Amino acid sequence: MGERADVWQGTLALMVLKTLQALGPLHGYGIARRIEQTSGDLLAVNYGTLYPALLKLEQEGYISSEWGTSDNNRKAKYYKLTRAGRKQLEKEAREWEQTTEILARFLAPGKESA
Amino acid sequence: MRSLRALLLRMSGLFRKSQNDADLSSELESHLRMHIEENLRAGMSPEEARRQALMKLGGIEQTKEMVRERRGLPILEILLQDLRFGARMLAKNPGFTFVAVLTLALGIGATTAIFSVVYGVLLRPLPYADSNRIMAVFEVNSEGRWSRVADPNFDDFRDQNRSFQAIAKYNDGIASVSGTSQPTRTTIAGVSPDFLKVFRVQPIFGRDFSISDAKKGAAPVVLVSHGYWKQYLGSSPDLSQSHLKIDGAVFSVIGVLPAGFQFPPDVSLWLPADLEGENPSRTSHNYKAVGRLRDRVTVEQANQDISAIARHIHDTSSEQNDYLLKDGIVVPLQDSITGKARPALLVLLGAVGFLLLVACANVANLLLAQASVRDRELAIRSALGAARGRLIRQFLTEALLLSLTGGALGVLGAYLGVAGLVVLAPQNLPRLDSVSISIPVLVFAFLLSTAVAAGLGAFTAVRATSGDLRNGLVEGGRGQAGSQGSQRIGRVIVAAQIAITLVLVVGAGLLGRSLMKVLEVNPGFRVDKIVTMDVSLPWVEDPKAKAGQAILFSNLMDRLKQIPGVRKVGATSGLPMDGGLPDGMFLLMTENEVPKTMDGFGALFQQKERIGNADFCVATDGYFQVLGISLIRGRIFDERDGPDSPHVAVISESLARDRWPNQDAIGHTIEFGNMDGDLRLLTIVGIVGDIHEYGLDVPPRPTVYVNLFQRPRPAITLTMLSDADTRLVTSAARGILQDLNPEIPARFRTFSQVYSASLGSRRFNVILTGFFGIVALLLATAGVFGVMAYSVSRRTREIGVRVALGASSSDVLRMILSQGLRTIFIGVAIGIAGSLVLTRTVESLLFGVTATDPSTFGGVAFLLVGAALLACWIPARRAMRVDPLVALRYE
Repeated sequence: MGERADVWQGTLALMVLKTLQALGPLHGYGIARRIEQTSGDLLAVNYGTLYPALLKLEQEGYISSEWGTSDNNRKAKYYKLTRAGRKQLEKEAREWEQTTEILARFLAPGKESA
Repeated sequence: MRSLRALLLRMSGLFRKSQNDADLSSELESHLRMHIEENLRAGMSPEEARRQALMKLGGIEQTKEMVRERRGLPILEILLQDLRFGARMLAKNPGFTFVAVLTLALGIGATTAIFSVVYGVLLRPLPYADSNRIMAVFEVNSEGRWSRVADPNFDDFRDQNRSFQAIAKYNDGIASVSGTSQPTRTTIAGVSPDFLKVFRVQPIFGRDFSISDAKKGAAPVVLVSHGYWKQYLGSSPDLSQSHLKIDGAVFSVIGVLPAGFQFPPDVSLWLPADLEGENPSRTSHNYKAVGRLRDRVTVEQANQDISAIARHIHDTSSEQNDYLLKDGIVVPLQDSITGKARPALLVLLGAVGFLLLVACANVANLLLAQASVRDRELAIRSALGAARGRLIRQFLTEALLLSLTGGALGVLGAYLGVAGLVVLAPQNLPRLDSVSISIPVLVFAFLLSTAVAAGLGAFTAVRATSGDLRNGLVEGGRGQAGSQGSQRIGRVIVAAQIAITLVLVVGAGLLGRSLMKVLEVNPGFRVDKIVTMDVSLPWVEDPKAKAGQAILFSNLMDRLKQIPGVRKVGATSGLPMDGGLPDGMFLLMTENEVPKTMDGFGALFQQKERIGNADFCVATDGYFQVLGISLIRGRIFDERDGPDSPHVAVISESLARDRWPNQDAIGHTIEFGNMDGDLRLLTIVGIVGDIHEYGLDVPPRPTVYVNLFQRPRPAITLTMLSDADTRLVTSAARGILQDLNPEIPARFRTFSQVYSASLGSRRFNVILTGFFGIVALLLATAGVFGVMAYSVSRRTREIGVRVALGASSSDVLRMILSQGLRTIFIGVAIGIAGSLVLTRTVESLLFGVTATDPSTFGGVAFLLVGAALLACWIPARRAMRVDPLVALRYE
């Protein structure tokens, strides 16, 4: 447990958007859990990082929020993707893939020579 | 777009604060609940489930704060909040705030005032179009000194240079001007035709000089300043009837210059130079020169240009002697005007900067004491979610509040201070009239305050937020918060303060001792009870007219002697300490060696054993008596020396010693006709004591005195030794002159005014640095006192324990004093080391003491240690009287 890394700010936004695309409207807790699970519990998401990121996305218009009721009848704030959010997700995902691809190419020959 | 939308939302976030906060709270609450429920499902006990959830999620309050920062416009919001909070904190500690603001006001105000002088004199551009393109041009003589230019040399510069679009020569002097409502002594300038083009100035009425106005024998014309036109010509736009009688000749006014144009300083009238033709000598340095650089020509290029022309003149001229130029130099006009004032002003600016540092150190110490009181507050705020950056911002805001308030007060003080400085400043300080609290000075004061705030704020912030803030909660419980650390820093500050103060006081001490040494110099003349009267008559060439002027002066002096209380009356061509006398080369020769031609004179000037150099002073016998210049041998002038009897001279002691070593100078004859055009030989009849004509700190110049009644001149200064009231003498003298010739204006001064003006700049520097030194000393003493008193109050408990365990009161005293002494000695040692380096910068201002004068250093160190020890003594006494019982209960 203690080995888990904090999420970096830049990637957290992308993970949130992807999560909302995959699961539909979801509350903060659900988003956090989903990200942790998807990472195979390698990442820890605490609210200190999550809620400012959610607020930022909302201010930028990529997600919207409204109060609803959770599965076990609790009041919770639900976030969902907007159209702008979908576009942004596609764009960021593409950029991210490109970046990782480039980095992978850089790292690959290094491994061989080592 | 996105960021704009975010910005708008965030701005609206500023207003719906409580709604948003409630929203966030319940959101986080539900998040936490869900987490706990999950933990419960995983089989934890309720307590464990909650604990794990809280540990994982981090501090709720910190999260809220982070979201809040994201929500509103934090910078603005926080600034407002910090300002409110800061103001509240400052208001809660009125004593602290008062002292801190006042100290800062003193430091910033003094620095602003001095900066306004530095700016006005050195930095403010001259008030002419593209003034940085205006250059002064000088000849450089064989000794490397800069001098004015001779006419033919100027002509060569003008005709051969490729660097200047306009170049002009000018000189200035006093003239008697009549033809207006009343006769006045007015400063006039003789200028060559391109003069106004150099400054890009056009007359607002009438016309500029033309080339033909400057031709020999042209109809005399004059340009007047705006002020003169308003005051004496009734602001009439019709100039056709305006004529002025200047030194006896009638000039037509052809134009009025714009208001504000005044170059050279104080000039009201400009006339064409050389109306009587140029002086053909390449060694008569009669004019200053200014030029405006062509576009894209650098100062360096112009310098090389002029230098090449000058060296060519030097190589080819037939007048080969020490007075011939060797080189030429071009410098920006502004530098040439203010160059002499620069070192002293920069020293003053440095001194006041040191004062500011000492003041800041005091405030830093105050803030430090404050901050350690506030450690607890900080710990609580950080526990409640304040990030470290936020706390630092809070400190910066408070410091900004303090120093901006201090700065504003300081600027107010500087307004008054500058008025005082201008009065106090030596009259020979150039551009004094452009010293004021101007916009750039205000900007400087603002930036200075901000810099001070940044320094102080960063200092307290770093100190207060370094380390683990939770310690504040722990230690705070015992009321000993941060004591060790902040006391150490406090002592470092005090040591630095002592060091800086020492440097400042040593500098002031050196300047003060120099002034004392200067005042110890025997000037060689009397100063008190002398009224002087400057009179100038028209310049005439005709010997008969000259003789007539001498008779007028003789009558004038006879009547001045009859004023009640006036004991002696004399006249001179130039008072000591008042602008100086012309100097030149004379020839030793006898009557039968006089050559028949001018070339013959030229040949004699090549013989080193025949030439001597001296100042040339025209005087009457009464002048020596009024000033009390001692007669060493021979006689001074008397009735024997009429205009037609052999001309005589009296020489100064140093000239006799240097030019006629091991023999008697009396009886020798000399030729000094190049000074006044009279080629008759002068027989030396007497030797008088040396006087310091150029200031007490300048060695006496060899001087030749000739008799006014044999060598008349139109402009003289009359001197009256009188026991009567100056005003009575002045009005009586004015009446007598009016009676003799109503067209002659006169200026009256007392000789002690002239004399003390010559010490003006030295006195100015001493007064200011002395004042800064005293203030810094007081501040540093207060700093030592503050730190020691604080330390004693913090250690009350410890001292109580020591006393309870058997320490005597003298042990306690020794402990406290030795702690103080260590700080003081470290400060003094650093200060002495610093002074050894820094006093070199004042070396050029010193007289009779070296920059490392041991007695000044010793005295100042002693003074400082004494003052600091006194400051330690009071807290130490308090420590001595600590009652162990009270101390142990203290808290």
